[in-house]
Amino acid sequence: MNKAVIDPSPTDWNGHIMQKRIASRYAAERRFKAMGFFAVALSTLFLAFLLFTMLGQGLRGFQRTELAVEFDFPALTSGATAASVTGPNADAALNSMDIPGLVELAVGQQYAGLGDSLLTSAAAANVRQMLIDNPELVTSIQTLWLPADSRLDVAFKRQGEPAAEKTVAALSEKDALRTGFNWTFLTGADATDPSAVGIWAAFKGSLMTMAITLLLAFPVGVLAALYLEEYAPKNRLTDMIEVSINNLAAVPSIIFGLLGLAVFLTIFGMPRSSALVGGLTLALMTMPVIVIAGRNAVKSVPPSIREAALGIGASPVQVVFHHVLPLALPGILTGTIIGMARALGETAPLLMIGMRAFIPAAPEGFTDAATALPVQIYLWSDEVNQGFVEKTSAAIIVLLIFLLGMNALAIYLRNRFETRW
Amino acid sequence: MGLDRISVWSRPIAILGSVFSGIRPILVQGSNVKFMTGTALLFLVLGLGLIGWIFGRARASGFVRKAKGGPRGTVNSLPYYHGWFVAICAVVPALLFMVIWQSLSPSLVTNMVLSAPIAAELPQDTFARAAILSEARAIAQGFQATAFQDMSDKLVPLYKGALSYYKWLGVAATLLLLFAGGAFAFTRLKPDFRARGKVERVIMFGLLLASLIAIITTLGIFASLIFESCRFFSMVSPFEFLFGTDWNPKSVVTPGADNGYGAIPLFWGTIFIGAIIAMVVAIPLGLMSAIFLTQYASSTVRKWMKPILEILAGVPTVVYGYFAALTVAPAVRDFAVMLGVSNAASDNALAAGIVMGVMIIPLVSSMSDDSIAAVPNAMRDGSLAMGATKSETIKQVLLPAALPGVVGGILLAVSRAIGETMIVVMAAGYTANLTANPFDTITTITVQIVALLTGDQDFGSPHTLAAFALGLALFITTFFLNYVALRVVKKYREAYE
Repeated sequence: MNKAVIDPSPTDWNGHIMQKRIASRYAAERRFKAMGFFAVALSTLFLAFLLFTMLGQGLRGFQRTELAVEFDFPALTSGATAASVTGPNADAALNSMDIPGLVELAVGQQYAGLGDSLLTSAAAANVRQMLIDNPELVTSIQTLWLPADSRLDVAFKRQGEPAAEKTVAALSEKDALRTGFNWTFLTGADATDPSAVGIWAAFKGSLMTMAITLLLAFPVGVLAALYLEEYAPKNRLTDMIEVSINNLAAVPSIIFGLLGLAVFLTIFGMPRSSALVGGLTLALMTMPVIVIAGRNAVKSVPPSIREAALGIGASPVQVVFHHVLPLALPGILTGTIIGMARALGETAPLLMIGMRAFIPAAPEGFTDAATALPVQIYLWSDEVNQGFVEKTSAAIIVLLIFLLGMNALAIYLRNRFETRW
Repeated sequence: MGLDRISVWSRPIAILGSVFSGIRPILVQGSNVKFMTGTALLFLVLGLGLIGWIFGRARASGFVRKAKGGPRGTVNSLPYYHGWFVAICAVVPALLFMVIWQSLSPSLVTNMVLSAPIAAELPQDTFARAAILSEARAIAQGFQATAFQDMSDKLVPLYKGALSYYKWLGVAATLLLLFAGGAFAFTRLKPDFRARGKVERVIMFGLLLASLIAIITTLGIFASLIFESCRFFSMVSPFEFLFGTDWNPKSVVTPGADNGYGAIPLFWGTIFIGAIIAMVVAIPLGLMSAIFLTQYASSTVRKWMKPILEILAGVPTVVYGYFAALTVAPAVRDFAVMLGVSNAASDNALAAGIVMGVMIIPLVSSMSDDSIAAVPNAMRDGSLAMGATKSETIKQVLLPAALPGVVGGILLAVSRAIGETMIVVMAAGYTANLTANPFDTITTITVQIVALLTGDQDFGSPHTLAAFALGLALFITTFFLNYVALRVVKKYREAYE
C-alpha cells in the first residue's frame, strides 16, 4: 500500500515555488485564450481576404474599355437619312448598310497600322442599336465610343500581352481610350469573347430554376413538417420518414445530380439542361432543409394555443391550419430562405444534368436549355482567355450580393417576427 | 324566396361566364399540340375546380339560409367545406387521369402509327426504327423543322393525326371525368352531409403523401445508384473496382482484362483531401473558435463573430473553388518551391484541402459550440470552485465531457468534406495518383464523377455507369458517417438530460 505523505503545514501560497507555479498556470491560460482568439481571427481574415480578392478583381469586370471611333455617316452610308432607318423598313435598311463593314472601314481609316481587331465582335451590334435608338446620328459625323477588344481591355486595365500593351500605349496617346460601365455584362449572355459576355442569361436561368424549386419544395416541405410534428403516429413508417429526411439533409449534393440524371432525364425523358429538371433536382435537395426548419418552427408554438383551439371545438386540422401554421410561418419562411440561398449557390447537381452547356441567349421557357449563375462562374473559371478572370469575379460578386441579400432578409424576418412565448 | 335564389346563384354564374370567356382563346389556340396537352388543360381543370368550389359553397350557403328560418336543425359543415368537397371530387380524379394519360399516350400513339400500312416499310433494325420514329414525332410536335431521314417525312402526317386523335381523346376523357366527379359530389350535398370530415381526410392524406416524398427520394437515390452500379459491375468486375490501384478508365471494356477502373487511388485521394488535410485545418480552428466564442468572448464579440463565421458556411462552394484555384494553389506551389519540393503541381492537394477546411470551420465550430453548451453548468462551476483556471476547466472537464458531441460533429464534417465537389473539381487535379505528398496532384471520387459524366456519352457507356458506382460508394460512406454521427450526438445529449 502506498502511504500518502501528508504535510501537516498549510500550503504556503506566497512561497517562491507556489508563485512560480501559479504564474505558469496563468501563462498557460493566456496562451490558450490567445489561441482561441487566433482561431477566430484567422477564420475572419480568410473571409476578408476572399471577399477583397473577389472585389479587387471583380469590380474591373463591371467596366469596359471603350475606343473612340469617328463615323462619317453621310459619306459611309452614301446619304442615308434619319427617316430611312426608322419606320417599318428600318431592319432592311440597316441590314443593307452593312454595319460590320462600316465599322471595319471607319476603324481602318483612323487607326491604320495598329492591328485589325481593335473592337470586340459585338461592336457592330452596338452601333446598330445606337442607330435604332437615335436615327439622327446617321445624318452627321459622329464619334462613338465602342467596346474594345478583350486583349486591349486586359492591357488597358492592367498588364496584358506585350503586343496589346504597345497598341494601348499608341491609342492612349491619341486619347482614344476610356473606361465605361459595362452594361453588356448585366444584360448579355455567354459568349466566346470575354468583352461581350453577360450574366443575364445565367441569372434568368437561376431565377427560373429557383422558381421551380420554391414551388415544389415549399409546399411539400411545410406539409411534411406539419404531418411529422402534429399528426404522425409513433410507428415504423414515421421513423423511416425521419431517418430519410435527416439523411437527405446530409447527402452530398452531387448524389442528387446523379438521381436527376438517372430518373428525370433517362427514365422520364425530360429535356436535358432545362430549368425544369434543375429545379426538380434542387427541390429534392432543399425539401429536407425546409422540413427540418419547419419542424423547429412548429415545435416552438406553445401547446396552450392548440389546447385553446381544441377547447372551443376546432378539429385537429383546423387547429393546425388556422392557428399553428400562421404562428409558425415566420420561422418556416426563414428556414426556406436559407434553404433557397443554399440551392442558389449549388453547382454540382446542375453539372450532372447537363446545365453546363454553352447558352448564348437567355432561356424563354422552363424546358429550354439554360444555365445557372454558379455554373456560369464555373464555366468561365475554366476559360484560358485572361479576360475571363475579371468576369468570373464580377459574376461571383453578383452571386454573393444576392446570397447576402437573401440571408439578410432571413435574419430580418427572424428578428421582426420572432415571438418569445 | 325567389329573389333569394337569384342572389345565391347569380354570382357563381357570372364568374362562370367570365372564366369561360377567358378560357376560349386558350381553347382556340389549342391547335398548337405542344401547348394544349399541358399547361392549358391544367389551367382549364383548375379553373373548373374553382367553379365547382363556388357552386358547392353557394349551395351550402343556401342550406344555411334555410336552416336559419326553419325547424330542420343546423348544417353540419361550414359552406366552404362543401365547396372544397366538390372541387376535390372534380379535380383530383381528372389530374390523376392526366398524369396517367401523359405517360400512357406516347406508346398508344406509336402503336397507332405502326398499325398503319406505311409502317411496314420501316427498317427491321430496332435502332434505326426508333431513330426514324422519334424524328417523325419531333417534327409532328413542332420541335424539329426538317427531317434528316427520308422515311421520317412520310410518317409525319400519320404522327400528326395520331397525336391529335389521342390528344383530344385525352382532353375529352379528362373533362368528362371532371364533370362526372363534380356532379357526383354536387348531388351528395345535403344540410347534414359531413363535408368537413371528408375534406379533412383528404388533407390528412395529402400531408402523409408529402412526408412520403422523403422516403421516395431516398429509395429513388438508392435504387438508381444500385441499378446503374449493377450494370457497371456486369461489365467491370467489382474486384477490380474496389481493389485495383490503376485508375485510367477505358471507354470500351473487355471482360477479364484490366480496364483501368481501380478506384483505390480515388478513395485515397478523397480521404487525403477531405478527411486529413481539411480536418487538420478545420478541427483546431473550429474547436478553438467555439471555445473562444463560448467561454472567453464578451457577448458583444460573440454577437458579431458568430454571424461572420456563418457567412463562411454560406459562401457557395464554386466561389471557394475559384479562390482555391486562382489564389491559394499558386501560393502553395510557390511555398513548395521555396521549401525545395521540385515537383509541386499547380493543382496540388494542399490548396484544395486547406480551402475545404476553411469551408468546414463553421460546421465544426457550431457542433462543438452546441455540445460544450450542453455540459451541465454544475460540472464547470465545480471545477472552477476547486481553483482550476478557465483553460484547465475547459481542457480537463468541459472537453472530455463534450467529446462525444464534438466527435459527432467532426464525423458530420468529414462526411460533408468527402462529398464536396466544386472545390476539388476546380482546384484539385484530374489525374489519379496514389501518393501522400500534399504538393502533388490528387483526384477524388467527386472529381471523377464530374469528369466521367462530362462530354456526350451514351447513358449506357461504362464511363457513365462508373460514375454511378462511384456515387454509390460515396453515398454509402456518407450515409454511414451521418448515421453514426447522429447516433453519437443523440446518445450523448440523452446522457446529460
